[in-house]
Amino acid sequence: MLTLSELRVTRGHGSGRHEVHLPRLELAAGDMLAIVGPSGCGKSTLLEALGLLLKPSELGRYALGPEATDLAALLRDADESALATIRSRDLGFLLQNGGLLPFLSVRDNIALPRRLLGLPVLSDRVDHACDVLDLAALLDKRPAALSIGERQRTAFVRAMAHEPRLLLADEPTAALDPQAGEKLFGLILTLVQELDMAALVVSHDRALVNQFELPRLVATLTPGGSRFEPES
Amino acid sequence: MSQSPSPVRSCRAGLILRLAIQDLWHDRQVSLCIAAALVAVIAPLLLLFGLKHGVVNQLQRELLDDPRNLEIRMLTSGSYDESWLDEVRAHPGVGFAIGQTRSLNTQADLLRDRQHFLEGVELIPTAAGDPLLAGQARHPESTGVVLSEPAARRLGVSVGDRLTLAASRRLEGQQERGQLQVEVIGLLAAARFARPAAFVDLSLLIELERFRDGHASSLLGVEHGAQRGDYPVRFARARIFAREGDAVAGVVEALEAQRIETASRLAEIDNVRAISRVLGLIFGVIAATALVGCLASMAGAFMANVDRKRREYAVLRLLGFQRPAIAAFIALQVGLLTLLAFGVGLGLFALGSAIFNRALATSHMAAGVVSHITPAHALIALALTLGVALLVAVIGVLRAFNIQPAESLREA
Repeated sequence: MLTLSELRVTRGHGSGRHEVHLPRLELAAGDMLAIVGPSGCGKSTLLEALGLLLKPSELGRYALGPEATDLAALLRDADESALATIRSRDLGFLLQNGGLLPFLSVRDNIALPRRLLGLPVLSDRVDHACDVLDLAALLDKRPAALSIGERQRTAFVRAMAHEPRLLLADEPTAALDPQAGEKLFGLILTLVQELDMAALVVSHDRALVNQFELPRLVATLTPGGSRFEPES
Repeated sequence: MSQSPSPVRSCRAGLILRLAIQDLWHDRQVSLCIAAALVAVIAPLLLLFGLKHGVVNQLQRELLDDPRNLEIRMLTSGSYDESWLDEVRAHPGVGFAIGQTRSLNTQADLLRDRQHFLEGVELIPTAAGDPLLAGQARHPESTGVVLSEPAARRLGVSVGDRLTLAASRRLEGQQERGQLQVEVIGLLAAARFARPAAFVDLSLLIELERFRDGHASSLLGVEHGAQRGDYPVRFARARIFAREGDAVAGVVEALEAQRIETASRLAEIDNVRAISRVLGLIFGVIAATALVGCLASMAGAFMANVDRKRREYAVLRLLGFQRPAIAAFIALQVGLLTLLAFGVGLGLFALGSAIFNRALATSHMAAGVVSHITPAHALIALALTLGVALLVAVIGVLRAFNIQPAESLREA
């Protein structure tokens, strides 16, 4: 599903320069990997680079999907149009606070990625996810009328509504109470496996990661940056 | 698992339009504030322009409605033949021209009976196309005359009545009086011609001049006098009318080039032009000031709006909207608010205009003045408003252009 090697991303200049290094990453369909590490180690930077939002300073290989689309070449060529297309089609983003559009109802927020791609708005998988996540009664509400947990569940359905290959989640449970966080984590894991997606989840919550026995990509601080490696 | 649809461009355009409307509606208080700022400029400007246009139009209409303003009077006499008159008529600015006999011969007595008569009434040659007689059912031919209202009043006659037209001469020591029965075929309002006068066929005037010059005139019932068939027709001057107000200056110039002194209402016409220019300048300065203020206010409001919604734009970009889509999103919002404001502004103009017109109709000072704009004016106003909207959209788009999708992650 995802193959990546020698990714280096640099942020800042001079003494504030920080380099994030990911030597190697392999993800198969249904895999969910937790990215863990101390604050400021570059977890979000790594997620941005993997989400094609940040141009790496160095990148060996980055292929996605069964046809192994060469994302590294697109990043090298800075082909913004192709990158935006892949971002909207093959990637799903789950943001810390949901990132829902306040002027759209829950239903329209969830449908937006599908509308953008010209897909039929109705989808059995989306309906199923809404049922599982208890969103059916909230579909006509605006995000402002939802609790934080409801927003995160809505954001998750929106992130997987267009059935992306890779789900990138940036601390999705950070704003939730432990019980709600546990529930959301469990649902993400279940649906990722059901839909044969791959998922990378940035999380500070070691207990939650341990509880679900997720494989981890751990940050190790190095002089001038950090290095992410799978925990053995 | 993943699908690779090719998004239809028009679907995406429709989606952007729908999102833009949904966002405006969700944020309707702010949207209304922005639109209200625009209405506050559009409605007063339309009213001001409507009044300016109405005042100038009324002045111009008064000028054009009164054909005396088109007349170029020759102050000096000469001797002009028919070909000279043809040349005058051929001038593109001339609407009507007819020869006149010598001043002394343009007078005659009009008698109804012993109690009702006028001595030395002004006889004015006329023909079809005479602007002064515009609206008259008939034009004087042969012995038909059109009387000015003051002449008719003093003679106590109306259309269809008959009068005696008489002229006297002294020939070979003898006082002779020629007479002719004429029929009143029309009356000319005093507003058009304030002096007692009779408008007659040019041939009658020439006959009177011949009679005074000592010729026999069977028409006037005097057989005594010279009998010359080849009497040359010469005119001392001419009645000349310009085709329109703007043509007066050209005709005056052409006549003065022939050393013919003239009198006209060019000054009044220039006055209207000057008023139009000054009102235009005043309106232009006010409009420019208001538009600059409006532009600054709208641009500020939209820039603040873009900053406020930075995260939403970042999310839209994260979901796959590219920069042109975000630009279209903002431009559509500016355009929609502008159209809404223009519609409301136009409605308020119609309302204000109706109030103005009702008030002006009852005012003696401004009777006839109406606040009015033409469809072309409305379209120009719309184009100007959309121009302002375009500038605002450009400023907003430039502000939003650098918003990166990653901001949705960083600022979330």
